[in-house]
Amino acid sequence: MINDWEIVMGLEVHAQLKTESKLFSSSPNQFGSDPNNNVNYIDAGMPGMLPVMNSGCIDKAIKTGFALNFKINPYSVFERKNYFYADLPQGYQISQFEYPILTEGFVEIESENSLKKIRLERAHLEQDAGKSIHDIDPKYSFIDLNRVGTPLLEIVSYPDFSSADEVINYLTNLRQILMYIDVCDGNMQEGSLRADINLSVKKPNSKLGTRCEIKNMNSFKFIRQAIEYESKRQIEVLESGNKIEQNTLLFDTSTGETRPMRSKEFAHDYRYFPDPDLLPINISQDQIEKAKMKIGELPNQKLTKFIDDLGLEKDIAKIIISEKQYAEFFEGLISTKLIKAKTAASWLVGDIFSFIKDKNIQINEILNKSQKIIELLQLVEKGTISSKVGKDILIEVLEKNKDPGLLVKELGLEQVSDNEELEKIVDESLSGEEENIQKFQSGSDRVLGYFVGKCLKATKGKGNPKIISDLLIKKIKK
Amino acid sequence: MTDINIKKVSYLAKLKLNDEKATKYEKSLSEIINWVDNLKKLDTEGTKPLHNITEKNTNLREDTVKKNNSTEEILSNAPEKAQNFFRVPKVVE
Repeated sequence: MINDWEIVMGLEVHAQLKTESKLFSSSPNQFGSDPNNNVNYIDAGMPGMLPVMNSGCIDKAIKTGFALNFKINPYSVFERKNYFYADLPQGYQISQFEYPILTEGFVEIESENSLKKIRLERAHLEQDAGKSIHDIDPKYSFIDLNRVGTPLLEIVSYPDFSSADEVINYLTNLRQILMYIDVCDGNMQEGSLRADINLSVKKPNSKLGTRCEIKNMNSFKFIRQAIEYESKRQIEVLESGNKIEQNTLLFDTSTGETRPMRSKEFAHDYRYFPDPDLLPINISQDQIEKAKMKIGELPNQKLTKFIDDLGLEKDIAKIIISEKQYAEFFEGLISTKLIKAKTAASWLVGDIFSFIKDKNIQINEILNKSQKIIELLQLVEKGTISSKVGKDILIEVLEKNKDPGLLVKELGLEQVSDNEELEKIVDESLSGEEENIQKFQSGSDRVLGYFVGKCLKATKGKGNPKIISDLLIKKIKK
Repeated sequence: MTDINIKKVSYLAKLKLNDEKATKYEKSLSEIINWVDNLKKLDTEGTKPLHNITEKNTNLREDTVKKNNSTEEILSNAPEKAQNFFRVPKVVE
């Protein structure tokens, strides 16, 4: 860090819960609908409407509690957080304050090649607000209430982060976990996961500095930029002998700078008090146990399993567990036990990933081709076709849903493993190559690759490279 | 005695008060607050907070979607609307 300054950060992450309906109303919890189409009178804050709690949100909170090592509180209370804004029709947000549903958890992240524990202070349930659109008209703001009442779980960490890398590793892990346990869809672009970053700087062994809060970040790239900009700004202010003013900031993605939000004449006073429309939540042990059963495997457990039980390389295993749908696709491929886990893994992160990336599709869109992919990989493992031919057939399978076995027969693509036939090709490849043969005999391994390539070309990729290479060595070494 | 900062209170409630009203409300709000302050004299050491007088659990509903109100219904009371949005004076953060 510049001149010994240390950065100290704490995160507040808002995760939208993946439910059918909203937190306190039966309107659809859905992104991307026409404006004001997922709204009922409760969401619109009409007088006399009463909120009724969605039990699905309690289940999701309990699951999160287990996955993030939280204490699950059997008693929690909803309170009103009062503030005035055009996209908050009730005039208050229903949230939890003194009695949150989860307290004292932790997440482990990788930091400079060792594990670091990030302590979590609390997580509480609350409603999302609506959306204000400011850029349609120069004189007016436009309000869409579809998002009003969307269930959020706000996960608050202790100030345990000291670098942008740690913040991003944490968010990556958190997002994976929430997606694995089916609590959040993890779609950052749509705002399903957003982070507020509290940042201050200090000298080693001194007490915490004054912090600023950067609001509403939903992209890893901008989070990194914002942390770099804001820490540098604070250091410059302090080094020039001035003080940091505690402030709420917005990150301007067009300039790459943070700037204070307006309307801060008075410090906010949210005047929390228990919501008289809602009784406290009492969670029974039975409900906790039932929700626990539905958690399934966490990303870390899968990672360990893939490395220790299936023998995958750590880097490859990490890519496969990075998205729940990848891990499930992979498990689908190997569940039949017809192909080796390693074969499935390397084809998945190699050619199959490049295919879905090229076509810009989701892995789930090729889920129905799993059976054919398995057949294809069996042909490669048995040596019926070379992996070079396998790659071409894979494209045919994925694009046109062709049957790999039939395709190999139709096009006569079986790998040539017949010694006599290959010997002929090897002999041909060596004729007129006296110079290269001498090079090989004097110890150049590169020349072997050249000859193998030449033979493969002559067999149109169908020759068994192992046999070709053995034959070449036998002949040249003579 | 608890002082009321009527400027701050009216700002938080987005209410514009003239001087006469400000003085009047400042006085009456202070009276209410000071009356409620009497409660602070009670010894509540060891008493569990009572969040709701019924001491019952909150009602729960299944996570299912029911028909919401139509966009027309939702916008029917809006003083100003445009393209299915509420239209409000410019508010920029």
